[in-house]
Amino acid sequence: MFGYIGKILRVNLTTGEIKTEELKEEDAKNFIGGRGLATKILLEEIDPKIDPFSPENKLIFATGPLTGTTAPTGGRYMVVTKSPLTGFIASSNSGGFFGPELKAAGYDFLIIEGKADHPVYISIKDDDVEIKDASHLWGKRVSETTDKLLEEFGDKKARVACIGPAGEKLVRFASIMNDKHRAAGRSGVGAVMGSKNLKAVVVRGTKKVEVADKEKFMSVVKEKIKKIKENPITGGGLPNYGTAVLVNIINENGLYPTNNFQTGVFPYAYEQSGEALAAKYLVRNQACFACPIGCGRVTYHPAVGVTEGPEYESIWAFGADCGINDLASIVIANHLCDELGLDTISTGTTIAAAMELYEKGIIKQEELGDAPPLRFGNTETLHYYIEKIAKREGFGDKLAEGSYRLAESYGHPEYSMSVKKQELPAYDPRGAEGHGINYATSNRGGCHVRGYMISPEILGVPVKLDPHDVSEEKAKWVKIFQDLTAVIDSAGLCLFTSFALGAEDYADLLNAATGFDFTADEWLKAGERVWNIERIFNLKAGLIPEKDDTLPKRFLEEPMPEGPNKGHVVRLHELLPKYYKARGWDEKGYPTEEKLKELGLDKYY
Amino acid sequence: MVKVKVFATLRNIVGKNELEVQADTVGELLEKLYSEYPEMKKELEKGAVILVNGKNIEHLEKLDTKLKDGDVVSIFPPVGGG
Ligand code: SF4
Repeated sequence: MFGYIGKILRVNLTTGEIKTEELKEEDAKNFIGGRGLATKILLEEIDPKIDPFSPENKLIFATGPLTGTTAPTGGRYMVVTKSPLTGFIASSNSGGFFGPELKAAGYDFLIIEGKADHPVYISIKDDDVEIKDASHLWGKRVSETTDKLLEEFGDKKARVACIGPAGEKLVRFASIMNDKHRAAGRSGVGAVMGSKNLKAVVVRGTKKVEVADKEKFMSVVKEKIKKIKENPITGGGLPNYGTAVLVNIINENGLYPTNNFQTGVFPYAYEQSGEALAAKYLVRNQACFACPIGCGRVTYHPAVGVTEGPEYESIWAFGADCGINDLASIVIANHLCDELGLDTISTGTTIAAAMELYEKGIIKQEELGDAPPLRFGNTETLHYYIEKIAKREGFGDKLAEGSYRLAESYGHPEYSMSVKKQELPAYDPRGAEGHGINYATSNRGGCHVRGYMISPEILGVPVKLDPHDVSEEKAKWVKIFQDLTAVIDSAGLCLFTSFALGAEDYADLLNAATGFDFTADEWLKAGERVWNIERIFNLKAGLIPEKDDTLPKRFLEEPMPEGPNKGHVVRLHELLPKYYKARGWDEKGYPTEEKLKELGLDKYY
Repeated sequence: MVKVKVFATLRNIVGKNELEVQADTVGELLEKLYSEYPEMKKELEKGAVILVNGKNIEHLEKLDTKLKDGDVVSIFPPVGGG
């Protein structure tokens, strides 16, 4: 096989058994790799109804056929498992250098099973794989863990993916951090790792990924890099300002969620914009493996030293969503989350929900005791509770359950801005209907990177769609975006390439690497297959479309109070049936037999 | 007068964040800006997002979108992220 190594590494932490298996070419052709193939494996190997924290759950580190190649942004990998936050499929994407290193060690996938009886880490040096004691690392933060492991491992070129204290404490939105600052952030994949007593995976590899046609591949790569460099977003906006370049445009469009999504306009947005970050704290930009874009931010603040980020989502979560305008506090909050191993979106949004509950008198100061009041705009509060969440101390223990379980425990789930119990990111759907449908139907719950409709609806790329339109055409676009994203995630590339590249470009890269002969449509079809197998996993886990494919009541009933979207609610009931139809599902949201047969998935459901 | 807000690279070209311009349509406004800041035209050649009071002109009357006193026009070079 080309592009793929053709090998899966399986480590059972209960029995200590370590073995390798062949990756089947047929599976690769059907599910590509990464997100898609890992979901297929998970669906076949676990009962989707199990408790995500039970030893029966599996944690899969999955690369794609382009991971570790010179394809632009070919450095991504996914972590796939059953999520303790949503109870559905989790698949978290990360960049940096860990994924390519795993592949260089000779494995497309690492499947972790069972549960160790004491803290351990997995050490991989090419064929030499060991489970080692990690008792001395338990409780340690991410950078200290990483540094210690690199020292122990004795090779500074090794790469580390680990959890922080939050993962150990089973915070439902704990992340897995690799290369210190890159996060497989969402859906609590770090908590699953913690539940297995697995602190880290350290890997070093010396093998090369072979592609089908070297010369062809090189010329295709060159051509795509040129496209990326010439594109004003991937060649200009992103390297110059990072993802935070979005702050102003989203705010000016009136969908920058403020104070737990109570409004979509934040008067101080400029102070936390990419422009402000570049002027105040930026040291330089930074790229993941094989990335010609380099959207990463290396920043410096005296309180934390040299750090990375914050990204747009994190700026918003700790900024406008918590009513905070001070960029320095946001930089610190982001750094804390990286160190503690917390997902920034869910952390910020959960604190924001608590702030609204507090200001509405539902959470009372008596319950918080001496801890700072949960008021919007209070930066001390922010840093205090981030630490408490990671350690599950005091009120942090309740926050560690995520905004939905928190709000529900007070009888007010409507104040949790989440879908399928996962916190929503930085776009108010009252200003972008297609993005709203994407939120409502995303297989991993509240998420923007499962079909980034902000691109056509707000940024005008690759087409300009009216954000308030709810036509069948809009529904079709959502499906295309979701399917294309599924291919990109499964291939091992970064989603940001899609500002410059289209389905044809991805097909060129994948074909040249794997030697497969897929048309752009066939690759998209593979993306559709990935989307549907995730849906099947969720249905088997207990998803009820009528109840779960929806949005917080706020978006459906409370008109946006001000700004360009004033008066708008999300017309979900109009667009959702059109979306189901575009997917070839029945009107209730279940994949039809016909559709599953067409995708070759009928045996799963 | 119309209030014009510029962002990202446009700020370096214009040298400030905001300016006031007299114009009756978006097209006329851009002509005026381009003649004063020729580099801006180059920067926006590959695409731009232009909002009038937060609404994208693509979904209004495009360059013919009418402007009146006190309107706010926001101009962005192509941006993306996530
Ligand atoms: S675009 Fe940014 S996130 Fe994506 S691979 Fe490049 S540096 Fe990493």
